[in-house]
Amino acid sequence: MINDFEYFAPKTLKEALALLDKYQDDCKVICGGQSLLVLMRQGLVAPPYMIDIKGIAELSYIKDDKDGLKIGATTTHRAIEKSPVVKKKYPVLAKMETRLASIQTRNWGTIGGNVCHGDPAGDPLPVLIALGATLTMTGSKGKRSMPAENFCLDYFETALEPGELLTEIALPVVPPNTGTAYTKFNVIESDLATVGVAVSVTLGAGDSCQDIRIALGASAPTPIRPKKAEAILKGKKITDALLAQAGETASTEADPISDIYASEEYRRELIKVLVPRLTREAMANAKKA
Amino acid sequence: MTSKFSVIGQRVHNIDGTEKVTGSAKYTFDVVLPNMLYGKILRSPHPHAKILKIDTRQAKKLIGVKAVVTGKDTLGRKQGIWRRFPELCDEEILCRAKTRYIGDPVAAVAAIDEDTAEEALDLIEVEYEPLPAVFDPLEAIKEDAPQVHDGVELNININRHIEWGDVDEAFRKCDHIREDQFKCSSQAHVCMETHDAVASFGHNGKLTVWTSTQSSYYIQRLYADMLDMRESDIRVMNRHTGGGFGSKFELDSAQFCAAILSQKLCQPVKIVLTREEEFTATKRRTPMYYFLKLGAKKDGTLLAKEARVITEGGAYTAMGATALYLTGFFSSFPYKFPNYRYDGYRVYTNTEPSSAMRGFGAPQSTFCGESQLDMMAEDLGIDPIELRRKNGMTPDYEVPGQAFIQSCGLHQCLDKIEETIEKRGKLPPNHGIGVASYGFMSGGIFNWFNTPYAFSAAVVRINIDGKADVFTGACDIGQGSNTTLAMICAEELGIKLEDVRVFSGDTGICPPDLGAWGSRQTLMSGNAVKRAAAECKSQIMEFAAAKMGVNIVYDLDIKDGWIHIVNRPERGVSYYDIVKGAIRGKDGVAIMGRGHYTPHRKGMISPAYSFGVQAAEVAVDVETGRYKLVNVTTAHESGTVINPVGIEGQLEGAIMMAGGYGYCEDQPMDEGKILNPSIADYKLIRSLDMPETEILEIDTYEPEGPFGAKEAGEGLTNPTAGAIGNAVYKAVGVRINDLPITPEKVFKALKEKEKKKKAK
Ligand SMILES: Cc1cc2nc3c(=O)[nH]c(=O)nc-3n(C[C@H](O)[C@H](O)[C@H](O)COP(=O)(O)OP(=O)(O)OC[C@H]3O[C@@H](n4cnc5c(N)ncnc54)[C@H](O)[C@@H]3O)c2cc1C
Repeated sequence: MINDFEYFAPKTLKEALALLDKYQDDCKVICGGQSLLVLMRQGLVAPPYMIDIKGIAELSYIKDDKDGLKIGATTTHRAIEKSPVVKKKYPVLAKMETRLASIQTRNWGTIGGNVCHGDPAGDPLPVLIALGATLTMTGSKGKRSMPAENFCLDYFETALEPGELLTEIALPVVPPNTGTAYTKFNVIESDLATVGVAVSVTLGAGDSCQDIRIALGASAPTPIRPKKAEAILKGKKITDALLAQAGETASTEADPISDIYASEEYRRELIKVLVPRLTREAMANAKKA
Repeated sequence: MTSKFSVIGQRVHNIDGTEKVTGSAKYTFDVVLPNMLYGKILRSPHPHAKILKIDTRQAKKLIGVKAVVTGKDTLGRKQGIWRRFPELCDEEILCRAKTRYIGDPVAAVAAIDEDTAEEALDLIEVEYEPLPAVFDPLEAIKEDAPQVHDGVELNININRHIEWGDVDEAFRKCDHIREDQFKCSSQAHVCMETHDAVASFGHNGKLTVWTSTQSSYYIQRLYADMLDMRESDIRVMNRHTGGGFGSKFELDSAQFCAAILSQKLCQPVKIVLTREEEFTATKRRTPMYYFLKLGAKKDGTLLAKEARVITEGGAYTAMGATALYLTGFFSSFPYKFPNYRYDGYRVYTNTEPSSAMRGFGAPQSTFCGESQLDMMAEDLGIDPIELRRKNGMTPDYEVPGQAFIQSCGLHQCLDKIEETIEKRGKLPPNHGIGVASYGFMSGGIFNWFNTPYAFSAAVVRINIDGKADVFTGACDIGQGSNTTLAMICAEELGIKLEDVRVFSGDTGICPPDLGAWGSRQTLMSGNAVKRAAAECKSQIMEFAAAKMGVNIVYDLDIKDGWIHIVNRPERGVSYYDIVKGAIRGKDGVAIMGRGHYTPHRKGMISPAYSFGVQAAEVAVDVETGRYKLVNVTTAHESGTVINPVGIEGQLEGAIMMAGGYGYCEDQPMDEGKILNPSIADYKLIRSLDMPETEILEIDTYEPEGPFGAKEAGEGLTNPTAGAIGNAVYKAVGVRINDLPITPEKVFKALKEKEKKKKAK
């Protein structure tokens, strides 16, 4: 049963921030509602005031410029999936979206809402982390930015401060000879990830791994970068043995849970398999780039 | 070839299809009556507890609450569908002294809206004394286990024994014997429409109920028992129904509580179960431990089989007794075992009761049996299809002392499947095709319900405009029985399908029919409708013969609205004119025909059986254990096909349901609490996971069925889990005996296999 609440639908960012300041802890931001409504129906969240930001036109955009790509927080999953520039320059992001939930959910759900929900099993964050994204938050006192990988603090807990909204996700220009790949392991298609792995590789001379960023989803209380695994590969000519070692290491850096869908042990085993597999795929993409 | 039928065999869409796809079809969920109240049910949070005290005073004080009832407001009777065996009627529905599973109802509220009713539930104070509980049947049959029901020794609810031949002697003669253990998991029905009812007691003491049910007649009769009423004072109507799959033919908590509340208030009360209640507090597929022993000669002749089964009954008998019996009977299927023995035990536990679900014990026996058969084939070095062919049932076969099988197309199905597998040629690496054969009953004969009525009865009425109304107690629960019955009526009368309208599942106007379970409606209700239509036809023919003045040696028939002499179709009179004249000639009385069907001298199980063989292809990712269902091809025989579209729908639905049973569906519990009671957490396979499906219809004719037809509903859910298990084995050489065959289990088995290989 969903509680009764007072509902606001601000049309501008300024109005929204003023409402946030006014109602503080008594209010909850809602965008597409695809995560929040589930919690409200279970009675886990029962805010007296709801601030719906989906109608704020200035927060919904995909802009491509010389610094890279800027995505407004209220942009829907479906808009990203269908965006020609995303498909062309960040195909991994578009492809990730095609496996996120169903079309109905992607029509409503937004990338900002997904990230702010702070679910370690969410698909976008590992990809954003691998791509080196920066998140911008705006409050009535101003803006601040941070790397995507620092945004989640714990299960469903983010770095957002009271009175702040996530406003923009910025992706840097993809360096030359760089390829990125993402997959999630799930038992049912389009279901949440049992484990998600994103890898971005920049190839150097002689196809050596000049740079690598690995991000794991559903593998710890937050999306994580297994930096020891990255270090094993960085600067090296990649071999099967090194990949296996990186997978092994990533699986020890992870801190997965056991639940009814998979045991902790199985999740680690999946990481062992998927880190090398996705690194290979990223390398193949880099060669095509 | 031109068909001898004009309606039967045509590809037709459901007669209620337009209403359903446009959203105008009205389900019980949509029923709203003046002065209607909304009910909610309070359920036990404990798996096993004594109820010490229930204080409803605060709840009654809440504004908007009209009534609160507990077990004290009932007659204290116990329901059960095995009405001939009082000890198996063990479910009070509203518990009075003790609760036996998490979800057992203890109180119900009626209020002006759902929110108020729900708020009131929080205000009911129940004092419980938690009792030790037992969850696993293998634990529950131990001497010192907690007693779920007093006086039931070792918690054994029922045991069933089936035997023929000399099993021990036969095993001595076998060249090879296998003994294997299996475990079959739970499965939820997940009907789109949850259990719901609107019950309305009038001040005249009569009860009217709109409800989503598979058997209006059973619900009427069970109400009569529980409320101590005469059954004709109760009218039960099934509306459009959003699925049943075996979950909707016992009196459920929504139906019972709505009636008790309405009785108190003389106001209509509506109760719709939540999805969580649907998962935790209705019924589910019976989990089973299976111990199988199979003996064969070197040449592949199967000489003997022994099955020992322990089932997790949950808190009450429900339909579990039948599942226990049928799993034993179908463990011998579809093979000619000269010697067979089955011992089954249904054990009470403090878990949600297990009961009927599509296939009714046969998906379990087929998974275990077909898995073991493939293992036997490998041991003997015989091709699995050859082994099935060698031992498979044939037409006019008697299952010793149990059943007589008339039509049987199993061998044609095996041939067809073998052909398609050959056509697929060499498969890519880590792909495998597994095969499973199956059979199923076409309508249950067992009358545990003790009905004094015919199993199916129907009335057909011809109106002045020549259109026919069919009145049948059969329930269309989405499977399309109304369409099937309309087609049978139209064929028999020689009129168009559009000229037939079906009134079904309303005990107030339809003759009794046991309802939609046991794959019985096509054959049994179909026979009743056919006979009723035939009776109308003969009345029309009397008048037509008189009117046409034909020589009495000629036979008349109706086709496409023309009544004509057989062999001389060009000479006819209008059917419509004749009907008008006939009704006038009967002093204005509409033409009515009655028909009924009860199987006689057909054994104790079913008057007919359907058969089939399924081949499932999987592709396994050997590094993760994740596999995909690539293709499922089914060679199926169900006698004359009434509506090919209907069979395709049944097949696709069955693959989705049985594929999920084989692959991922389960209801894990912690101390009796189901951990995944939502559609987000309960994993069903969905459209994206569906394989290519193909159906190869095999032509057979069942003499007992209407126009030669038999079932095509439940049997199709039997083979898939076994076919998947066999396919995974073929693909990567690991055998999973424990459902569901999840990627994680496959992964672990692959690791084990690797370890063993290294150790060698
Ligand atoms: C059936 C289904 C399947 C799903 N499958 C997947 C899947 O496969 N993969 C996956 O990653 N996700 C999945 N999801 C989750 C869902 O798609 C995302 O989490 C969703 O996109 C969230 O976006 P939203 O706009 O709907 O957020 P909302 O539900 O409106 O909000 C989510 C949270 O974020 C906060 N919030 C929203 N926007 C902002 C903002 N701009 N600034 C600050 N806080 C904000 C809200 O206060 C709330 O706490 C699924 C959801 C459903 C219902």
